[in-house]
Amino acid sequence: MKIKTIKKIPVLVILILVYFSCTDDFVDRNPVYSIDSENYFNSEDDFNNGLIAAYDLLQSTYINNIMGEIASDNTLCGGESATDVIGYQQIDDMIHTPVNDQLQNLWNWMFAGVNRANYLLEFQNNVDFEGKDIIIAEARFLRAYYYFELVKWFGPVPLKETRFQLGDETTIPRSPVEDVYALIEADLIYASNTLSYTAPQVGRATKGSAQALLGKAYVYQEKFSQAAIVLDNLIQNGPYDLVVDYDTLFESQQENGVESVFEVQYTDAEGAGFGCLQCSEGNIAVGFNGIRNYNGPLFDSGFSFNVPTEESYLEYDEDDLRRDVAILNIETWAAQTGATYGTGYEHTGYYNRKYIARQGDLNTGDQNLTNPNNYRAIRFADVLLLAAEAYNRGGLSDVTAQQYLNRVRNRAFGDTDHEVSVTGTALTTAILNERRLELMGEGHRFFDLVRTGNGSVIPGFVEGKHEVFPIPLEEIQFSNGNWQQNPGY
Amino acid sequence: MYKKILILLLFSFSAISYAQNVDVKGTITEGSSGQPLPGVNILIKNTSRGATTDFDGIFAINDVPINSVLVISYLGYVSQEIAVVNSDPINIVLQEDTETLNEVVVIGYGSQTKKEVTGAVSTVSSETLSELAPVKVEQALQGTVSGVNVTTQSGAPGAGLDIRIRGISTNGTNGPAVFIDGYQGDLSLLNPNDIETITVLKDAQAAIYGTIGANGVILITTKTGSKNSKTKVAFNTYVGFQETTRKLPLLNATEYALILNESYAAAGQNLPYPNVSGLGVGTDWQDEVFNASVPIVNHDFSVSGGSEKLAYTISGSHLYQQGIIAPKKTDFRRNTARLSLRGDISDKIKFSSNVIYTYLDRDSVNDFGLGSVLFNALNAPPTLSAYDQNGDFSLVPNTAGLGIEIINPLAQIENTFNDFDLRKLNGSFSVDYQPTDQLTFTSRIGFNTTEQKGKSFAKIVDYGGKVFDVTRSSVSQNSENFNDYTLDLFANYKDTFFEDHNVTATLGTTIYKTFGSGLFATGYDVPNNDWAYADISLATGTGADGVRDVSSYAFDERRMSVFGRLQYDYKGKYLLSAMLRRDMSTKFGPNNRVAYFPSATAGWVVSDEEFLNDSSLINFLKLRVSYGVLGNDQIPNNGYVGQLNGEATYVFDGILTNGVAIGQLPNPDLQWEEAKKFDVGLDFRILDNKIDVTTDYFINKRDNLLISNIPVSGIAGVYAPGGSSPTINAGGVENRGFEFAINYKDDLSENLKLSVSYNLTTLTNEVTEVNNSTGFIEGGTFGVGQPAISRMEVGQPIGYFYGYKTDGIFQNQAEVDAHPSQLPLGANASPGDLRYVDVNNDGVIDTDDRTNLGDPIPDVTMGLNLTLNWKNLDFTAYAFASIGNDMVRNYERTLTDVNQLNYVLDRWTGEGTSNTVPRVTTAATTNNVFSDYFVEDASYLRLQNVQLGYNLPADVIESMGFTKVRLYCGVNNLVTLTKYRGYDPGATSGAPIGGGIDFGFYPIPRTYLFGLNLNF
Repeated sequence: MKIKTIKKIPVLVILILVYFSCTDDFVDRNPVYSIDSENYFNSEDDFNNGLIAAYDLLQSTYINNIMGEIASDNTLCGGESATDVIGYQQIDDMIHTPVNDQLQNLWNWMFAGVNRANYLLEFQNNVDFEGKDIIIAEARFLRAYYYFELVKWFGPVPLKETRFQLGDETTIPRSPVEDVYALIEADLIYASNTLSYTAPQVGRATKGSAQALLGKAYVYQEKFSQAAIVLDNLIQNGPYDLVVDYDTLFESQQENGVESVFEVQYTDAEGAGFGCLQCSEGNIAVGFNGIRNYNGPLFDSGFSFNVPTEESYLEYDEDDLRRDVAILNIETWAAQTGATYGTGYEHTGYYNRKYIARQGDLNTGDQNLTNPNNYRAIRFADVLLLAAEAYNRGGLSDVTAQQYLNRVRNRAFGDTDHEVSVTGTALTTAILNERRLELMGEGHRFFDLVRTGNGSVIPGFVEGKHEVFPIPLEEIQFSNGNWQQNPGY
Repeated sequence: MYKKILILLLFSFSAISYAQNVDVKGTITEGSSGQPLPGVNILIKNTSRGATTDFDGIFAINDVPINSVLVISYLGYVSQEIAVVNSDPINIVLQEDTETLNEVVVIGYGSQTKKEVTGAVSTVSSETLSELAPVKVEQALQGTVSGVNVTTQSGAPGAGLDIRIRGISTNGTNGPAVFIDGYQGDLSLLNPNDIETITVLKDAQAAIYGTIGANGVILITTKTGSKNSKTKVAFNTYVGFQETTRKLPLLNATEYALILNESYAAAGQNLPYPNVSGLGVGTDWQDEVFNASVPIVNHDFSVSGGSEKLAYTISGSHLYQQGIIAPKKTDFRRNTARLSLRGDISDKIKFSSNVIYTYLDRDSVNDFGLGSVLFNALNAPPTLSAYDQNGDFSLVPNTAGLGIEIINPLAQIENTFNDFDLRKLNGSFSVDYQPTDQLTFTSRIGFNTTEQKGKSFAKIVDYGGKVFDVTRSSVSQNSENFNDYTLDLFANYKDTFFEDHNVTATLGTTIYKTFGSGLFATGYDVPNNDWAYADISLATGTGADGVRDVSSYAFDERRMSVFGRLQYDYKGKYLLSAMLRRDMSTKFGPNNRVAYFPSATAGWVVSDEEFLNDSSLINFLKLRVSYGVLGNDQIPNNGYVGQLNGEATYVFDGILTNGVAIGQLPNPDLQWEEAKKFDVGLDFRILDNKIDVTTDYFINKRDNLLISNIPVSGIAGVYAPGGSSPTINAGGVENRGFEFAINYKDDLSENLKLSVSYNLTTLTNEVTEVNNSTGFIEGGTFGVGQPAISRMEVGQPIGYFYGYKTDGIFQNQAEVDAHPSQLPLGANASPGDLRYVDVNNDGVIDTDDRTNLGDPIPDVTMGLNLTLNWKNLDFTAYAFASIGNDMVRNYERTLTDVNQLNYVLDRWTGEGTSNTVPRVTTAATTNNVFSDYFVEDASYLRLQNVQLGYNLPADVIESMGFTKVRLYCGVNNLVTLTKYRGYDPGATSGAPIGGGIDFGFYPIPRTYLFGLNLNF
């Protein structure tokens, strides 16, 4: 009996060993309900889905708009206290350093946009179907849009036409500004040649969007004659016009209206939280700009950031219809309507009326993060003023420049009594000043000042340093010596 | 190898086969009582033959060779060996084993006597569990085991606790692996009275668990009946009354108004309370939200017994606890039922099974973070009464000074509706096959299957323009299931060669699979805006076009392991063991699936050496050393492959449109996290075994730390919605420490017995590597809109606090002028403001001046446990101390009109008035940036448990048919001594980076208990 049992031992041991060797297969399993990212883009649907992803990051450009405005002389930072969003506060005071969470967000989100466009473009030759060139053109427009933001904010940045991989930060250099613009131009030329003036869906980029952005990129590089050609083409052939009533321009009825050349789409349909601001489908800048502890008609509460200065308000002529659309004088408003409000940090008595919260949306939680106000990224007025600038500064035609400028001014005053007739540098000054008034609160002022060498009107601005923002310190560290910090930081 | 074993076996059998045989009979009695002992094992040495005593303590074995030796053993008694010389009846008296050195300790896939253990292993017995009467098992480990720290996330009923064995070693999952009767399980749901012992493997001893042993291993042995025993019934019950251990000293209405006036005046603003007379003390919102005499009730019973071949235990328990905040909305119900069965199918085949059913129901209110009930209670103005004239909840005004988050906490409780239910079945079936005396095969399957449901209702509610206003009602429901099984197959071979060489070999395999899924859905427009109608079946509204009201997930993760262990000792004096485990895990890509984890332990029982044999002082002395490599694979699933689970949502044609995007960036090179554990220990007993000391020094080095979502360059696009950085093996953490435990046990007189135990653990934590170029990882939030304050950085403790150092308060303008400008922090300083130190001496105060302000890791933890028995009375007390843990005061919303703690009464009001608390002003200051002003020493000493019991005299209860009747009363969390200002110095979120930040932790309650233990 004992002997018999002992004989079984080797058999059992063998059985165990067999069992071991067979079961290595046990851990061969595929992730459940999962699509491998490297085997995608096999159908039209796949391309459409990937394109939506590339558009998604446009919503995070709220930070470009609010921070660009705060950086300029138009507004003060505001907020709850001196330490509320310290990254914004420092940029307002021009004391920002490479340690700045908000600048880091902007860098991260714009590169996320570049990468999502590149993800699609990386697989652009996978399959063919009708309309694929439209999708490719839109993806290239988006890449150009994100790169334009990056070059505006940071100057030289790393370039790649496929997805950046981990480790690229240590090998791919920061390309000179010209090279970044070269890619932007190439993408936009392709997009403007491929797309038509009407998009398959509202919200998608059109030929006009691409032309306008291309013209703007030319103006930023002072390539005025190229700018004049493309912008003129757009003005003459595009379906765009100025909205007659400036008052309605920033209300919901004029979203994606005739003046909108490119518009970032937002909605109040879905909730959002502070944990992932870039995930919000709403316009976060609107909640941040909103009136502190407001109770009254028309508007909703917000966090009182980005408050216009008295000087900005006074910059408008008394009869300029744009003043009270661009800037809300809260004291006057409260006196008229009986509304009540709180005062935050750096309370000026003014609010950025174009982009503060309105009543009437769903107030989906967190209601300050889900305001549905679309951002008019490129307005036809902006296009006209860019064209005017190109004709004037390029020495092409001050008459044409005056025409375009006065189109904007006539709408602003509701008459032709305020037309500009000066020429030369006086006209340049008039155009740039008009840009400030027309585009107040829309995030363009800082870059207009910098590109024209007028940055020093901003309190605290140091020439040769503050024209661009510092690369986030972490990125410099990640690059392991590959990237140098911008001068002065 | 096997040939040799066979030869040896044959040799040993033949050695006894030629002797003459007799039949042996006998009786075995218990030493102190003289009663017969049933269930005692009698074995003929070196054979598998033997017998067990019956109810009368009688045994009989036929055909026993003359001169063979009988080994008589019974758990808890000193074993004896008796030589058979003739067929005369053998009467044996077994003495109770007071040394506990022969106590059996489970060590994973086997067991050892305490004397033989060569690793750092601690145990907690069922007696300790019953003395502590913990609601959750984890609580019983606090202060009772050296090297183990248990922290609470909240004092709310059913809230989670975190166990840390020998410190925080990773920024990922730090909790130990838990095995219940051999299979992987969950400690937190068990009924504490079902547990026989808790064994904690703290060092390389856990290496038999390879990949999951890095954070330490906790082995739970559940209670089981004994064979040949009469049916025993135990019934335990207690009721308790709970109250808060602490209320914070807030300003009363008058003080509040005066402080507000002062701060407004300081900024040149109008006084908010020009007339403070008549304000009185106003409302202390804490009194409104805290309840006293909140009930907790527990009943449990067990029935156990056994026949000759079968032993069983049936048990059940019921626990119901309400919370000290919102008692009816924060209740916790746990019912458990258990069946344990083991028996002998034949002489060689034994089985055991153990099945536990758990039902749990928990409701909760927001008890953590900005927006919690306590956060509101601390910040709401005392000038506001809880109810308005109509008897409705008053609204906290919507003003800039009170912000948009602070709401009436009573209204918040009223409007909170949720429900969580969990049903779980877990258990194991195990078969032991013992073909020979030396060899045992064990085949075992353990499983957990959990079904849980959650529901929450967002009622339409208007707090007057606050962020918690809800304009559209909705009900969210979810259903999740988690399943896993552990399948073990292993063999144990135990033998003695040449009399003194004892060998135990273990070889086995284990596979583990966990799988499950979850489904989440939301319905809108709940009928009547009422919880009674809150179900998706009635809430038929949908979200806006394109909004996904449903979501789901599924997972399937597996492990496959082979392990072996060889234990050798010479005369029980020199002990050696070596282990090797090979693991494969689906957490890693195909190229990195396999890893090997070796370890070794050694021991030397010095007291068995000649030179200590006669020592009257030293009864026992053992030196131990262990070293091993263990693994950790607790990271998010599928990190090695790119998945399209990012977020891609945009608006086309005015409606939400969903696409696809990459989620986490993959890292195909993912590898195991490696823990290298070194331990050297010394155990000794002196003074007649009255004093028992265990000491250990350990170094735990964690390499290749799996850092999930490690910060990487943004150019790779990882910060897109739904995206995240890859998990990378990029860090290292080292924990070093010293453990000391001493037990003193003495019978001072016939009636007075004393037992005292004390333990101490020191811990030094240092991050040795963060390989992501920046050299640090951030976490933890402070205030609103401020940068992260906790860091993991090389050369610092993990999760240390990073901010500005202060140097008192500017007393006058001259001091301000003499100091570098503080403008970069947000505002110029004025007299009365905090003065920040220019740490890097560059003449400016800016972000580069941030430095280490402390960390939440205690330097030393201690436990002191006392048991006194005097006649029929027993008294126990358990205390725990934690020294050197820092905590961040973050429950104060820094707005102008919120209430404050009364330390603000000692503020700076002019030169020389205060050098610690800054002035009050509504003007811009930098006093609220994160600095050491907000970091407090949260060292504490807590008397966790005091209990006084009375056993009814034996003669009284025997007549009633009972074997034990004990009445007791006690207090849990009687008192906590600390300088910390917040509610609970022992609480933390448990996050490795971001722990120790106090958002107004729900304090653990003080509970007055009255209980009864009945046995018959």
